[in-house]
Formats: sequence, C-alpha cells, structure tokens
Amino acid sequence: MKNEIARPVLACLALVAMVASPAFAQESDWVLPRTPDGKPDFQGNWSNATLTAIQRAAGMGRVLTPEQVAAMEGDRASFIQENSQDSDPDRPAPAAGGEFTGNALFDAASGGTGGYNLFYIDAGDRVAVYNGEPRSSLVTVPDDGRIPALTDAARTRAREAGAARAGMGQYDNPENRPLAERCMLSFGSNAGPPMLPNYFYNNNYTIVQTLDHIMIMTEMVHDVRVIPIGDKPDVPEDYRPWFGVSWAHWEGDTLVIETTNISPQQMRAYAQVFAGGVGNPKLTERLTRVGPYSLNYEFTVEDPDTFTEVWGGEVPFNWLPDRVYEYACHEANYALFNVLSGARAQEREESTGNLDRE
Amino acid sequence: MTLKKKVAGFGLAAVIVTLAVAGPVIAHHAFGAEFDKDAPIRLQGEIVRLEWVNPHSWIHVEVVTDTATHVWMVEGGTPNVLLRRGLRRDCLQPGTEIIVDGYQAKDHSLKRANGRDVTFTDGTKIFMGSSGTGAPDDAERMRQRRERGRC
Repeated sequence: MKNEIARPVLACLALVAMVASPAFAQESDWVLPRTPDGKPDFQGNWSNATLTAIQRAAGMGRVLTPEQVAAMEGDRASFIQENSQDSDPDRPAPAAGGEFTGNALFDAASGGTGGYNLFYIDAGDRVAVYNGEPRSSLVTVPDDGRIPALTDAARTRAREAGAARAGMGQYDNPENRPLAERCMLSFGSNAGPPMLPNYFYNNNYTIVQTLDHIMIMTEMVHDVRVIPIGDKPDVPEDYRPWFGVSWAHWEGDTLVIETTNISPQQMRAYAQVFAGGVGNPKLTERLTRVGPYSLNYEFTVEDPDTFTEVWGGEVPFNWLPDRVYEYACHEANYALFNVLSGARAQEREESTGNLDRE
Repeated sequence: MTLKKKVAGFGLAAVIVTLAVAGPVIAHHAFGAEFDKDAPIRLQGEIVRLEWVNPHSWIHVEVVTDTATHVWMVEGGTPNVLLRRGLRRDCLQPGTEIIVDGYQAKDHSLKRANGRDVTFTDGTKIFMGSSGTGAPDDAERMRQRRERGRC
C-alpha cells in the first residue's frame, strides 16, 4: 500500500528533477571555457553514472518518453527510500542456501549472498540525457541500439575459449582471477576505451590538459590514460599496453582520440566491448564540451574480425561537484585472499570429508 | 511475508531490473566467490576497529558468546562512496554496538563476513542511502538521525 502511494509521487519528482537537471537547462549565456592556448577546456571532474543501459531493451525507442523516464527514475528513488527504512533489530540470520533473485546476472555476482548493502552502491539515479534527449541506450550505432552480431570467426573463438576455460580452475591461482579482483583494471570498461559506466560505483573521471597531452584518470582502480595530442606513435603491432596506444587531434572544438594496440588481457576483461576479439581493433572517441555541466562523449568500435558492423555510442559525462578519491585497490585487497582461501578450504573439506566449520 | 520483507523485495527487484538491462556487471569482486551462501550469520557486538581502506572498508566487531569471544571482520563498501555520502570515520566509533547479517567467508576459519545489512541495535541503518533523490521523507529521516547524534 505504501508503494502505491509513494511511487506516483516519486515519479513526478523524478520527472521534475530530470527536466531541471543541468544537462537540460544549458545556461544561455554560457561561453565555452578555453585553456591558455585557446583549446576547449575539459578540465575537472566528471561522471558518467547513469540508469541508461548500454544496449537498448526490446520495444523501446532511441529517446525515452517522459513516462519512461519517470518510471525508471522513480523506481530507483523508491528503491533507495525503501531500503533506507529501519530493519528489525530482532531479525534472524538470512536464509541458508542464499537468497536468490531469479536474475541470472545479479545472482552470478552475489552468489545469493545479498552482495552489497545499498549504501555501498552509487550507480546513478538519472537516465542519460544527451543533447537534451533522455536516451534508452548508450549504444546508438547501429540504429537499434544493440551491439552487432558476432562474425563466424568470433563465434568459433568464443566456443573454443569457453572450452579452454572449462579446463582451468578459476580459483587455482591469483592469475586465474578477474583483472578487477586483482586490482589491475577497472571493471565494465570503465577506463576504456570506450569509457562506459560500470553501473555499480565510482564512475568518475578527472581530466587534465596540457599543450600537447590530455590525461584522463578513471577513479576505479586509479586507471590513468596519458594521451599525446599529435601524430600516431610509431609502435610495433605487438606492443599492447593497458588502454592501448592512443593519440589525439582537434577537429574544431572536438578532441578526437584514436586508439589501437589494446592489451589482449584487457580485451578479454572488457568482454562486452571486445567479445573475445584477438586482433587489433580501432577505437575512436570524441570529446566535446557542450555546456557548463556537460561533456559529450562519442565512441566508435571498428573490429571487422569480431563484429559484423561498426558500432558505437554516445555517453553524457556530467560535471561532478565533488572530489575524486584515490582508489588504491592494492591497499587492503582482502577479497582476493578470501576468495582463494575459501577455495582451499573447500578443497580440504572435499578431500577429507570433514566440514571445517563451527 | 512481513511488510518489511515485501518492501525490501520490491526494492531489490527494481534495482535488479536496472542491472539486468544495464548489461553484464561484476563489482570489484564477485561476492559469490568470497562468501558462503550456506553459512548465514547474524552478529551483534561492539565495533573495535574500522579499516577505512581500498578497495573495501572493513568493520571489526567483537562478538561475545557464552563459549567464546571472536573479532569478526565485516566487508563494507568502497570508502570513496562512503565519503561522498557523508560518512566520516568518526561516525563509527569503537564501542558502538551494531547488528550485522550476512554470509560468512567460504574459509570459515577466517571469521569474515559480508555486511548484507548493518544496523544499530534499534534497527536504524548505519549507512543511509540518501543521495538527494527527492524521496519524500529524506529530510525528515535525516533530521531524526541527527537528533539521535548519528551521521
């Protein structure tokens, strides 16, 4: 009953908040700030946290209706409100066997343990508004908002990779654990390219410019890209650093960043973007400041060996009126220890038949 | 099913829909790989230490039972998010009694668990989800918390 009353109210509030958001209300007297050398000034802290999904759900148009915006943002507001209510101090322990939701994705991440307390999540409370349009997906090319189908070669690779993984123990050693768990790379393609939200937390970036470089630091795992503005660096094909080899040039007031030579490990980790690609895809990113609080970010993925079409998207980066903190992931990464230690404990139990439990 | 459980279920469903549409997401690490879904726990005791560290904060809680005293480590969120939400180190002073429910680490000798729900002994959340969403009772709830001397 409480929800029936609260949800329409929240939906209206969310709609009002969306219309009044900085991205919608561009200041008419705003003048593009420029660096001392006359280039557009992107410097500061930005966030790409959003409720808008990477890919478009079936049956949705490219631009969300006001009702769809209100429903999405209202649901998030309701979720936060309801989970902020007091708990029963006499509550028992949660259910043995885990509490599964029925959603394969979420259950895979939490394993039925409930994962995070709500307070720990900062995934974004608003839909993505790009050039004044509330969007249903971040992918905009092709027109259906979906990442294109894989090539036959990519599908074959995916099958073979799956079979290879099945023969490996994912808990056997630290090297078999995901790069994010090992504090080596952000998850969900946060650091890019392309720089996409991770839908959990810390979707924040700091940009610093000099005459001949732009630095983009991603808060998650403190990933830093230092990109020269100039010609393509002369590097061999097999030189594959984290985030690849990038170079940039100005096209009017838009900074165009091109990237090749991305680390194969990174391509495996950013699975949704690279889909098991093994070649040398070309990424192009375009940054354009369009308002006091808005930075437009476009990206294009060219990987003809993996995808049947070129694809790309548009992601609003919103001004972050807050600090970006160091994410010194190695500081106390107890989780990796716990994961491996847990696997060893289970192996002992299986080999001895003894449940080493209290 | 209690009303509170119904409410929590709805909220969880809402965020899950968002996550499902959003695409494959795995946080810094998979909780299912670290914690044992067959070992639920409820802990009540005093905070003895707060590790305000990356990639996740950890609350150390001393739990006294009839037979033993153990210090449990409870995994929390990234300190970056906690800072942005206004939680300060001094919000959780040693000696504060809290209740935690969650699941124990798979290696049961470690005395570690996830903080699925973390509250004071009267049930109020230690961590508030208020983030300026315009939820109607945000301001009132925060006022009541301040009256009780809580962050």
